[in-house]
Order: sequence, then structure tokens, then C-alpha cells
Amino acid sequence: MSKKQKYIIFCIPMLLICSIGFKAVVSESKEAVAILQTEEEVFEAGSDIVLDFELSASVKTQLFLHTAFGSTIIESDTGHFIVPEFVCEKKGLINYELVYNSKTLYQSKIRVKTRKEKSIQLASYIGPPSITAGGKDFTMHVIIPTDSYDNPLPDSTAIQIKHQFLDIENEETLYSKDMIGWSTIYSYNQSGRMLLSSKVGDKASKEFSIEIFPSLSEDFQISSERKHPYADGNQITKFITSVLKDRYGNIISDGTLVAFIIKDINGSILQTQGSTINGKAIAKILHPDHKDIWEVRAFVPGIAKSNMLSLEYKSVLEDFDVIFTKSNRKISVGPLLSFMDQLIPDGAVVTLKISQDGEDLETKIKTSSDGVVQFNLEEGFYPSGNYDVEIKALGVQKEYKNKKLQ
Amino acid sequence: MIGWSKNIYRTLIISSFIGVIILILFGIGQVLSYLNTGADRSSMLHITLNQEQVYLPKVIWEDTTNPGRTIQKQTLLDIEKDYLNAWYVRQVAYQTNLTKGINDYYTTSAQQDIIKGLESNRKKDIIVKGTTTNHNLVLDFYSEDGQLAVLTDKNVNEYQQVLQKNELLLETKILSDYQVMLLLEDGFWRIRHMIKKESQIPKDSLQTEKIAQVIGTKIYVDNQEFQIKGINYYPQNTPWDMFGDGFEINVIAKDFDIIKTMGLNTIRIFVQYEDFGKAAVTKEKLQKLEQVLDQAEAKDLKVIVTLFDFYGDYSVLDWTLTHRHAEQIVSAFKNHRAILAWDIKNEPNLDFESRGQENVVAWLREMMLQIKQYDPNHLVTIGWSDIASASILQDEVDFVSFHYYQDIDVFEEAYKGLNANINKPLILQEFGVSSNRGFWSPFGNSEKKQANYHKQFQEIIKGQNIHYLSWTLYDFEEVPQSVVGSLPWRKHKQKHFGFIDAEGNRKAAFEFSDN
Repeated sequence: MSKKQKYIIFCIPMLLICSIGFKAVVSESKEAVAILQTEEEVFEAGSDIVLDFELSASVKTQLFLHTAFGSTIIESDTGHFIVPEFVCEKKGLINYELVYNSKTLYQSKIRVKTRKEKSIQLASYIGPPSITAGGKDFTMHVIIPTDSYDNPLPDSTAIQIKHQFLDIENEETLYSKDMIGWSTIYSYNQSGRMLLSSKVGDKASKEFSIEIFPSLSEDFQISSERKHPYADGNQITKFITSVLKDRYGNIISDGTLVAFIIKDINGSILQTQGSTINGKAIAKILHPDHKDIWEVRAFVPGIAKSNMLSLEYKSVLEDFDVIFTKSNRKISVGPLLSFMDQLIPDGAVVTLKISQDGEDLETKIKTSSDGVVQFNLEEGFYPSGNYDVEIKALGVQKEYKNKKLQ
Repeated sequence: MIGWSKNIYRTLIISSFIGVIILILFGIGQVLSYLNTGADRSSMLHITLNQEQVYLPKVIWEDTTNPGRTIQKQTLLDIEKDYLNAWYVRQVAYQTNLTKGINDYYTTSAQQDIIKGLESNRKKDIIVKGTTTNHNLVLDFYSEDGQLAVLTDKNVNEYQQVLQKNELLLETKILSDYQVMLLLEDGFWRIRHMIKKESQIPKDSLQTEKIAQVIGTKIYVDNQEFQIKGINYYPQNTPWDMFGDGFEINVIAKDFDIIKTMGLNTIRIFVQYEDFGKAAVTKEKLQKLEQVLDQAEAKDLKVIVTLFDFYGDYSVLDWTLTHRHAEQIVSAFKNHRAILAWDIKNEPNLDFESRGQENVVAWLREMMLQIKQYDPNHLVTIGWSDIASASILQDEVDFVSFHYYQDIDVFEEAYKGLNANINKPLILQEFGVSSNRGFWSPFGNSEKKQANYHKQFQEIIKGQNIHYLSWTLYDFEEVPQSVVGSLPWRKHKQKHFGFIDAEGNRKAAFEFSDN
């Protein structure tokens, strides 16, 4: 019994306290009940947004605004809130909360939509800026239409895109989605420059261009040009390609590198290269200085090859004089005479190999001047004794065994 | 005399000459190196930006198939990183009202929209501390030339605190969708357009089998009513460093046997935020924790795991890092049968003064949501340090935990008062007394007094049928400075709360460790 009494004694004051507590809460919230007066929920970007609240008491309240680019707070003593311009200008949802004494009295959202007006801005992106002919490669044209406050226009906005290529003019209508309108434009069989533009309503974009480059080169022919067929090590042989074209007949791009691979009679590889201008590449190489047969083939590496060309070089001389003087220490080679018995042009290479008892001592290399080359075997390097001498010039080789040097 | 001063003048002139030369050369060097900054290729192309990720909300790519170009994984990572950085620099900007970093992650026209907002806030002395906790990304479009991407970010959970003149004006959570257009400029994916949209209500994830649950004021484990009789546990040799280099699972297993013989069924252990690797939890630590939990399961002990020990930042911009920490630990053990509950934080109310109550409470509230999201199977609680704080967040926790180190004589009344106001299970999560009589505290309690204290407490516990965990199993040789500071008498006190002394002998209180 007494326990029950205690319980009741405890409970009644508690109930009282609670009811006072509740009353306080109720009365306080009553003090600041807010009713939204503004009926509009959707506004056009850039228009004035005013939110009016009817407050049960005239107190200072704050309005919290949350937009895509950040949050802010505005204040009012009357419940009349003028939303700042920078918030009204941006498309999207705005959450707001009416706050009084750090308590939220009312919360809801409004929506700002794109401004319907003539002054549309267009941003276009086209890429890649160059593609290859043949209809497999393509570029992408992306258009972002925005209103004057830089808000993307709503989905399903009609966008006209046009492109011109040679005598083709094409027009297409796109409907924007996810802020953008886009289209892929495939290349044609011809190479050249394609012009593109777009239009939304009355707003036209500027002119854009992309380059359609020729496709990959097909196989081609080569020919050679030389002043004479002699291996004089002096004149130049020119290799010339036919006009390099892709499979659609477009002359391939200037600057395409063509490598000429030359195989001589010993199987050694020589190489020269040239890049194309108007589809033709020219490469040059010095004549050999000895009798030889060259097999030449040209490549656009990894892409195309040419026919095989065979070139024969004739020897310019059969023999030459070698004169030993000053106790055989001075060796004079020449005169070296070319195919018309003229002195060979300066610069013909003559090598002198000296050995003793089968052991190579030195190889001297000199170039001719006025058809003659002179070697000196100095005493300091070559003490008196017997040496073997081997002389090579323009493919002719002469040997002198056991030459005695004093 | 003349010779002397002549030499002095000479040295002065020569040394000042050398000094001037050095200064001129240094100056020229500085000018040259200044002119060179920003001109080297790596910095122009932003290829060697050494950034530490400081913003780690949960990001899920829900869909990356798009009508444009197929996207490579690396590009996706780049976009994700720059998109998160864009959020981060904006959060920082609104927190400081400065535009630092904005120009790296927003295009010139998009920057204007932020700058206008910042200017307006600066004039009114408003700062906004905000963060986002999750981003669910869908790639809408990726252009052929790889320069433009459009994505939709669904159900973005934003938390914001608005402060005016450093007074908290409003705390709010907003769920929205965003559609974002990004352009690749100067090596950065920059936001060009950003439009907020109404969020579609997320689908509820399927609830899995609950290992522990609370119905009314009772705790159930595997559908059996569960009365917690427990102890706070640290190994004797590694207090406050349970998962460090001194980790010995055999020692812990033996301790669990002792705890079992004491008649207890629950332990409470601590996971330190920094020790476990902050936002990137180390595998090794998780393995150690797993061993402990496996061992507890083998010995039929339930475990309350206290997270975020020694954590103390709570700032809004640090949230996402702590979320990743919790995610990695909690989701790893969401099906572990040894765990009874996750204790979010030990005694967070002690940080109210230094960090601001609203910051701490907001962090705790969000953290509970995060943990429930990754582990719906176990309970959550918060280890408040006193009865006065215990009612904070009582609607959010599964059971209310509090610690009691005050006068034992008024405990029963205080407990009854609390019990009347809260209709959830109440757990006396820490209590105890130190038998620290000695040089540092000549009037401290003796071991006998400690035993009496526990005896008395167990009587109250039995009378009121209270869930309890006492502090602690062992007396410790060493107490780290970070626990109670460096004052020797404080350290000394903290060393002697155990039921077993430093030599391994059972103290008088041992037999009163349960009822």
C-alpha cells in the first residue's frame, strides 16, 4: 500500500512537470509557427524569387538555402525573403529551411528552370580534330546549349547540326539529353576538310572544321635515276617512288616517311629514306666505290612496300700504279684513272694495310687528291725490316710481299 | 699599430667583397629558380602531383556503360579523384570563405557561381562546414576525344553546419541527386555544369540475420535473452596497445580462460584509430583482431569492440576518413558471432568542451548510421563516461552504456533515475576502484577496500539486475602517457584497478568479480 502511495506521490509531480514541459514546447512552437504564402514552386532562372511566410509572431527568422554550388542564409524580420540573385540564376533544385532560434520551422524546396528566351549560348566540342578517310573513322560533335545564365537547356531541346564535305551537305536534328546533344560523324572515302556547324533555335554556332586525312598507303612502284653506271664513289643515285595513294585513290599525306632498303652483293644492308611531297618520295645515296649489284625495295614501314629494283655498278678502273720510294717508306698510289681515263674526282678512298709475319700492324685510310694518294711509313713506327703491304682502291686490290724498309 | 689596422681594413674589405658577391650570386640564383618554377613539364602537365587523399566519402560506380566512348578504368579513377577533390575544395572554401583551390577543379564560368556564394557569405559572416558521406555515380556520357564527361551522382548525403559569427545557426542533412558535366582541362577534370535534382528514394538494402538484437529493455543473442556480465580487457603486458608488437594470442587465450572461470560472459576491447591505420586500415591489425574474436568465440565470450580509441578530431571535413576506417573494420566482421556490439567511442563526452558538443554528437550520430549500414547484424552503443551524458542519442543507440567512478553510495539512486527515463537496456560499462595505496597516494584504497567496493557493487547489480562490465582484469606495470597524462600519481592510480596484481596474484577483489 505504502509503496503504491509513494509511487503516486512520485508520479503526480512528475506528470505536472511533464505537462508544464509539454506546454512550454507547445507554446513556444506556437509562438513561431510559419505558413508558406508563396504558391509558386517553379521559377524561371533570373526571375525574382520571393518566399513569404506568415509567422504567428513577428520574430527574426533565417532562411537557409541549399543549391548545387553551395549554401547560404538570408534573414528577415517579417517573413518576407528575397532570394539572392546568384541563387535565382542557377538551374536546379533549391532546398530551403526556415529557421528560428536554431530550430527548423518549415522546410521545402523550389525548382529553378532554364530561362526561355532567345539568347541561347552554344558551346561546341569536336574531337578528334583529324580522322582518316574510308568511313571507318569518325569524329564526335558535342553541343551544349545554355541559356543566358549559363544553365544547360532542358532535355529534348532540338539541335540542328550540319556538315559540308566536298559537294555533300548534310543536316540532322538531335535532341539533347543529359545536358548535351551529340552526334558521331564518319569520314567519307575522299580526303579533305569537313566543315561543321550547329544551331539551336535562332542561335547559330561558328564554323568548325576537321581534317579528313587519306587512309593508309597501298603498295607502290619505285624507279632510280643516276648520271652514269660506274662505281666511282662520287656521283649520287636517286630513288623515286610512284605517287603513293590509299585504297580510295587519295594521295597520302605529305611527310609520310618512305624507307629504301638496299642489299648489296655481299648481303650487307644500306638504307636511305625520304618523305613524300604530293605523294612522291625521293631518296638519294652515293654510288658505291667498287663494282656491285644493289637490290632496292622501299617501304612505308608497317604499311606498304614497293617492287624490287636491281642496279648494277661497273668498276671504274682495272689497275693503278704503286710507286715505292725513299727506301720503300714512301708509297705513292696512282694516278687513279676513271672510266674515260680522267683523274678520279678527289675523295676516292684508298686503304693501305701493313702486316709483318702474318700479323696486322696498321690500316691507313686516305682519300685521293688529284688522283693520287701518298702514304709515309715513318721510321719511328716502322723499324727496318720486311713488311707485307696491301693496297685497295675502287674495288682493286694489290699486294706486295716482303717489302724491305731501311 | 698602423700595420695592424691596415690588415684589419684589408680583411674587412675583402670579406665584405666576398659577402657581396655571395649575396649577388644567391640573388641571381633565387631569381632564376623562381623563373623556372611552373615551367618544367611535369608541373605544367600536373603529372607529378603528390596528393594525399583527404576526402574519402563512399563512392560506388553503379554504371559506367554510356552511349559515347567506352571508358578506361584509369580515366574513371581520374574522374573520380578530381570530382571528389572538387567537392573537397568547395567544402574548404565554404568553411573559410576563401577561393583557394577552386580554380583547379571548376571551370572559369563555374567558379563564378561559387565565388558569388562565398562573397555573400563572407559579407554576412556565415561559414558552412559541410561534408558528403556517399556518392553513387552513373556515367551518362564520355566523349570520343576523352575531353568531356557527364555523370549523375545519386542520393548524395550532405551534412552541413551553418555558423554565423561562430554561433551554430543550423545543422542539416540533405539528400540530393546531381548531374555534373566535367571537362578535361590542363590535366584536371573540372566541373563545368552542376545541377541539383530531386533524389530518388534509395532502395532499402536487405536486412541480414541479426546476431544480436534489442527488444524492449532486453538484449537477445541468437534469440536468447542475454545478461551481460563482463570485464574490460587489456592483456597485462600491453595495456592500451593490445594489437601492437607485443600481441600474443596465447596470452590472450589464457586470459579468456581466467575470465571464463570468473563466471563472466562478455569482454570489452579497444581498437585505436591511429594504431589501426586511420582511413587505410592495415590488414595485419585486422588479422590480429580476428584472432582475438575467434578466440573469444571459441571460449564462448561475447565481445564489445570499442572503436575510435584516442581519436579526437570530429571536424566535419574529417568525417569521411573516419567513415572509411569504420567501414573497413565493421564490414570485415559483420558476420562474426563473437561480437555483441560496436561501441562507437569511449567517453566522447569528455571531448565536448574542447571540440564542441554539437560537433561530437553530430559525428557520433552519423557514425552510427554508417556502421549500421555496413553491419546491421550487431548492436551499437556509445560508452558515456557518466550518467548525466547517458541520455544523449538514446534514440539512436541500441543500448545505453555509461561508466561510473563516483561515490558508490549514490549509485543506486542515480541508476534508478536513469532507468526511469530510458526505455532501452542500460549497461554499466565501466566501474571499479584502484587499490593504489602507496607512496603516490598514501590515503588511497587498499586491496581490501577494493574488494569491499566490488562486493558492494555486485550486491547492487544483483538487486537491480544490471548489465555490467568492470574495470579491469589486470594491474598494469606501465600506463601510456596518452591515457591519463604524465603525472605520476595519476598513472599510479590507473595501474591498480585490476583483479589480478602485477605479479599475477589474485587480489582480494577477484572473488567479487561476479555475483
